[in-house]
Amino acid sequence: MRFCRAHRLEEALAFLDEWGAEGCLLAGGTDVMVRYNNGEVAPGAFIHIEGIEPLSSITTNGQTSVGALATHAKLARDSAITARHPAIAGAARLVGGWQTQAVGTLGGNICNASPAADLAAPLLVAEAHVTLASTEGERRLPLDEFFIDRRLTARRADEILTTIDLEPLPEGSAEVYLKLGRRGAMDVAIAGLAVRLSLGDDGSVITARIAVCSLAATPRRVPEAEALLIGARLEGDALAAAGQALAGAVSPIDDARGTASYRRRVLPGLLARAARQCGEELRR
Amino acid sequence: MTADQKITVHCTVNGEARALEVEPGETLLRTLRERLWLTGTKEGCLEGECGACTVLVDDLPVDACIMAIGAVDGRNIRTVEGLSDKLSGEERMNPLQQALLDHAAVQCGFCTPGLLMTLTALLEQQPSPSSEEVEAALAGNLCRCTGYRQIVDAVMAVAGEQRP
Repeated sequence: MRFCRAHRLEEALAFLDEWGAEGCLLAGGTDVMVRYNNGEVAPGAFIHIEGIEPLSSITTNGQTSVGALATHAKLARDSAITARHPAIAGAARLVGGWQTQAVGTLGGNICNASPAADLAAPLLVAEAHVTLASTEGERRLPLDEFFIDRRLTARRADEILTTIDLEPLPEGSAEVYLKLGRRGAMDVAIAGLAVRLSLGDDGSVITARIAVCSLAATPRRVPEAEALLIGARLEGDALAAAGQALAGAVSPIDDARGTASYRRRVLPGLLARAARQCGEELRR
Repeated sequence: MTADQKITVHCTVNGEARALEVEPGETLLRTLRERLWLTGTKEGCLEGECGACTVLVDDLPVDACIMAIGAVDGRNIRTVEGLSDKLSGEERMNPLQQALLDHAAVQCGFCTPGLLMTLTALLEQQPSPSSEEVEAALAGNLCRCTGYRQIVDAVMAVAGEQRP
């Protein structure tokens, strides 16, 4: 076991080329170290990238570009994120406790590819694209293509996720992330739901984006439910129909936190609550 | 753990510069407890859930049980042993520690060192927190004895005393 410290991206990529699949990228460590302590991973080397400062910046230029090393604490407080991506800021506050948020990074949360990744749902409604760098160059992928399966991503062993590009909340839109947990702190989501809506002057839905976590092998968009909201007003029948479509489209499992049938049953209510919150936000 | 070649980590622990010879995969918690004998920091869950091992790294609370020791190279670490006031060789509890005692916020005591470190970071960032802010800050510190009320009361009392 070796501990390789990278202070620049080029150094980190060179270490990855040297170690291949034996090299384990380490940023805040809040996922990797748990698995390492448990013996679930036994890398030949940790490649410590937390000190690559340019990768923690957040810049806005039309899109929002978030460096993969931006911490949850930074996402929760950063003025560009709270203004342009309130659902992401809100989700960041719900990940673990302060200790996790202080060092856990956005890139780590994405690459860990937990089905329950809170941030993934609001990232998906912001049409997130990830940039992957290697010594051969860069490639850019939509986040929903990056997630392949539970804990499996499109990242090759020689690549580092460097940047997450986001489409900011347009004028006349609102978004929210709702997390169903057991006690409101230190929860792994039983179900997580991000909704981004824009409404016309008559209150009918013009655009709808819905994404979930803890309801399938990967966090995912749910176009079946989005389609039923477009053109409708945020009222009883339309919301109920979209809620049923949402519950029918997901593929939850039974686990220690809840059963699949419970997860399906709560979804229409969660969607109605999220839509109502967006509607209230837009009437202000 | 296999016998790996050791690495040297330079850091500051409770104000003292250290050059630590450590195994590359060991946690900050193990280094603190088993190499420096700073056993005030407790080992609870070993997976970043309970907060018993909370220490400050560059003024932010982290779970030492899931912090790789190699990651703290060049950084400033504070543990519960660094909190007390040392006046002419006599150790005295600081106002936050005394407030926890005065409010019966210490029962079994296992969570207390971690709680103190999180609360120290909170009060440094926000000297006059609301009780909601105290509760939010403590989300990652589990206490199974007190029900938290006495802890929040202690923090509000000490924060009130320090208000101008």
